[in-house]
Amino acid sequence: MTIQPSIFFNEVNERQGSFHRRALVMGGLASVSILALSGRLMELQLIEAGRYKELSANNQFNYRLIPPPRGRILDRNGVELASNRPNFRLLVSRDEVSDIDSALDAVGQVIEIPSERRKQLQREFAQSSRYIPVAIADDLTWEAFARVNARLPELPGVTPDMGEVRVYNFGGAFAHVIGYVSRVSEDDLARVGPDEDQLLLHHPGFRIGKQGVEKSQDINLRGKAGGQKVEVDSRGRVVRKDPRGDVQPVPGKDIVLSLDADIQNRGLDVFGENSGAAVMMDCRSGDVLCLLSAPSFDANLFVKGVPPDDYKALADYERKPLLNKALTATYPPGSTFKTMVALAALENGYDPHTVHVCNKAWAWGGRVWHCDEAHGPQDLRGAIATSCDIYFYQCALSIGPDKIAATARQFGLGQTFDIGISGQKAGLVPDTAYKRRTFKNDPVWHPGETPSMGIGQGYLNFNPLQLCVQASRLANGLKALNPRLIKSIGGVLQPPGDAAPDLPFQKANLDFVRDAMAAVTSGNGTAAATAQLGLGPIKMAGKTGTAQAHNYLSGHGQHGAVGEWATRDHAWFIAFAPYDDPRYAVSVLVEHGGFGAQAAAPIAREIMRVALLKDPEIRARIETPLPMPAIPTAGQADGAEPPPPTDIVSGKPT
Amino acid sequence: MTASALTRPGQRDRLVVKFGEIDWTFCALLCLIAGVGALMLYSIANGSWEPWAAKHLIRFGLCLLLTLALALVDIRVWFISAYPVYLVGLVLLLAVMVKGEESLGARRWLNLHVVRIQPSEIMKIGLVLALARYYHGISAKEARFSWKLLIPAAMIAVPVLLVAKEPDLGTAILLLLTGGAVVILAGLSIRAMAVGGVAVLAAVPVLFNVMKPYQRDRLFTFLHPEDDPSGSGYHILQSKIALGSGGLLGRGFGLGSQSQLNFLPEKHTDFIFSTLAEEFGFIGCFSVLVLYLAVILIALRTSSLAHSHFGRLAGSGVTATFGLYVLINGAMVMGLAPVVGVPMPLMSFGGTVMLTVMIGFGLVQSIKVHRYTEVTSGQGALL
Repeated sequence: MTIQPSIFFNEVNERQGSFHRRALVMGGLASVSILALSGRLMELQLIEAGRYKELSANNQFNYRLIPPPRGRILDRNGVELASNRPNFRLLVSRDEVSDIDSALDAVGQVIEIPSERRKQLQREFAQSSRYIPVAIADDLTWEAFARVNARLPELPGVTPDMGEVRVYNFGGAFAHVIGYVSRVSEDDLARVGPDEDQLLLHHPGFRIGKQGVEKSQDINLRGKAGGQKVEVDSRGRVVRKDPRGDVQPVPGKDIVLSLDADIQNRGLDVFGENSGAAVMMDCRSGDVLCLLSAPSFDANLFVKGVPPDDYKALADYERKPLLNKALTATYPPGSTFKTMVALAALENGYDPHTVHVCNKAWAWGGRVWHCDEAHGPQDLRGAIATSCDIYFYQCALSIGPDKIAATARQFGLGQTFDIGISGQKAGLVPDTAYKRRTFKNDPVWHPGETPSMGIGQGYLNFNPLQLCVQASRLANGLKALNPRLIKSIGGVLQPPGDAAPDLPFQKANLDFVRDAMAAVTSGNGTAAATAQLGLGPIKMAGKTGTAQAHNYLSGHGQHGAVGEWATRDHAWFIAFAPYDDPRYAVSVLVEHGGFGAQAAAPIAREIMRVALLKDPEIRARIETPLPMPAIPTAGQADGAEPPPPTDIVSGKPT
Repeated sequence: MTASALTRPGQRDRLVVKFGEIDWTFCALLCLIAGVGALMLYSIANGSWEPWAAKHLIRFGLCLLLTLALALVDIRVWFISAYPVYLVGLVLLLAVMVKGEESLGARRWLNLHVVRIQPSEIMKIGLVLALARYYHGISAKEARFSWKLLIPAAMIAVPVLLVAKEPDLGTAILLLLTGGAVVILAGLSIRAMAVGGVAVLAAVPVLFNVMKPYQRDRLFTFLHPEDDPSGSGYHILQSKIALGSGGLLGRGFGLGSQSQLNFLPEKHTDFIFSTLAEEFGFIGCFSVLVLYLAVILIALRTSSLAHSHFGRLAGSGVTATFGLYVLINGAMVMGLAPVVGVPMPLMSFGGTVMLTVMIGFGLVQSIKVHRYTEVTSGQGALL
């Protein structure tokens, strides 16, 4: 390439002229471009400024969630069954701490972190989301918490936090009713509605109701989260707090249960190591005063996360502490069902003076039917009092299964109740329609199945709550009472259990059955010895039940509390008191307890005594001085002073 | 004592005269812009000279000294070093492809053990010089439209492709536009311009195919930053929030929450203008833009004074580079252009771009000082 000097003036001028023109255009273009940028600036900074200011504030300010205090659960007298206590914790978030080991080492200098807990934390930390902190220490003592706070500058990324933790003041006594709260699981997240506060659900201190009332009333108990207005940087770290911008949390609602802590605690005491359940209702209002399942477990264990070994021990124990035997297990009712059979018979024109003779054995339908002893000739009342099976085989046969079933259903048997606890088992009231529906290969009710039904065996199975409802309705004698467990939510009373229709039975027939139940606890009645309250004029009426838990291989003999625990009979007792003016009804089941009169009736008696003695009207009746010292009538002589509870569990047949 | 056309040639070569010829108003404007930059860097460091503001000022001071020194360098020295600088730049670009240091997935730096250099920056000056020198030697007619234009086309295309391959899309576009500006200023015919424009548009789909995924993302998200506020749209969205929340008067010095609380990414480099906008509002931004426009127009005017075609084209070429920096960065922070990593010259923290820009202004001042110097070819040009 040769470079020539620009010797031609024209040429020089032309190049220069062209450049000048174009440089001018370029300068103009630059000016226009800068103007255009200014226009854009005006659009952003003057016209849309408001919107961007808001977006900037959203960036700058953030709300740190303040979890609401969970509502308390109280008994009918205001005793706290579930409440909250302060929980001192140390939180670490992955956002601020990259190396959990060094953070744990540093914290370990101040407070003790067991090595197994350390492993668990490392796992938890690795899985945690970036901005949701992990609690590396929970439930610290005030001293330990203060120590950590004092040395906080040496612990970068560790945030001390004062939260609340659920506490069940009676440990296990109400575990099956109240349930417990625990960490939110993936299943819980899938179950809750989309409109629920996701931030609260993901808060590390938040616990969700997993069972019982805690679960069914979770939304009411939970409350609404508040917020603490804080200025944060782009990594979400708090730069400043702004107390004026805080939103206070709305505490959860207190829930008052109809339960009475005294009755429930006494009930559980009396049960001791026995397995079973007891339910007591006020038979005028329908309030459930006691709803226990034994043995129980400490619900507090579940709040922090139950250690695997403890859980395994609970789950593997033969007497099933985790099972709510009052609601989620059903058992054949045994002889308690004879009250239903008797009422069904009376309603259908059965003459109560009909006499059958009991010779301990009765041949019918090609086999021999047994009774515990030879009761001799008896009418209906006597057969209830002595719980004669041979009488009721024949009584049931005379009316048939469908009428018995219809009567039983009027007493709440075979249904579940809306008391705020899920997982209730309905049990079964069988009839001919049931057999048609269920047994496709054998859709016929065989006559041989009716005698079994007459003594509360066969397909029949119920839970203790249903039997308590049955006893309450019998005792009430008028209304088909419903049980009510939740008395009020946040001060708002819930519908009472007596807003119910009348029972469709003749008063005379109901009176007859009640009178027969009074005979059970007196004279030669099955529970005459074990169902004495010892409260002067206040007497208890009831019905025992001893239900086969097991098909005796030989078909006879092994009745009562003999043999292996798991093959023994279930002991039942349903009762109400005072029998002349019923206030309280109770049902007691002792699983594999043997005879109802020996195992269940004494427990019912103890529970009933607490309820009666707490009732001022009853107390007035007991304490009114009589003109003459009370002379015990025959049959009550040994019942004036109830035996100590230690005798209750003996369970020997008499 | 000015170097007027009537001054005797010997007189003009005296250093004192040359020094007096430097455009001190222009230098003052540069100082002002760099000062605003330092102020913003001071603010975003939470009112601290560390780590950016002090360094920024020291760098600018050194660069200004360099500018003044270069202003005294004879225009003919620039002329004869044009091709060598271009060739050195080209060699270094090739070297970068072979053994450049990789950082963030791109090879842009060359470690010469003594200094780490970015050859694409050398090319920004080298390309302008080489094109100016080439056009100096051809006639207006040839510059308008002839086969001789294939050579400048190749001179532009080779470094642009090499830089795009690094990949450094921002610089590649900058080189392309700068080269194009020189070609147009040199007198390319309107028709050829149209053809060239169509050719560039046709190349867009091809270019798009060879782009890396992150580059494509950037290209699209600038159109809809709200679609992906925490991902690739984050830069633009946060920048727009910073700008918009500034309003007319701004939130006050040191009070911009977007930058102070780190919501704004790259706040000390590419997005320093957003910080300015947040803290000083429309008034502040507009004033700074006017300063930049003044610098551009003065530099263009200065280039036009040159008696040599080489001087005119070289001066206006580096001015175009500077102007494109300002426009591309401005459009980027305002959400009008994709995020391509082009800083705001003199304000953004970063030594390389400042050095390039200030060398360019040294050239512009040299053109002013030596505007009467005839640049001729031949060995005796400097004698």
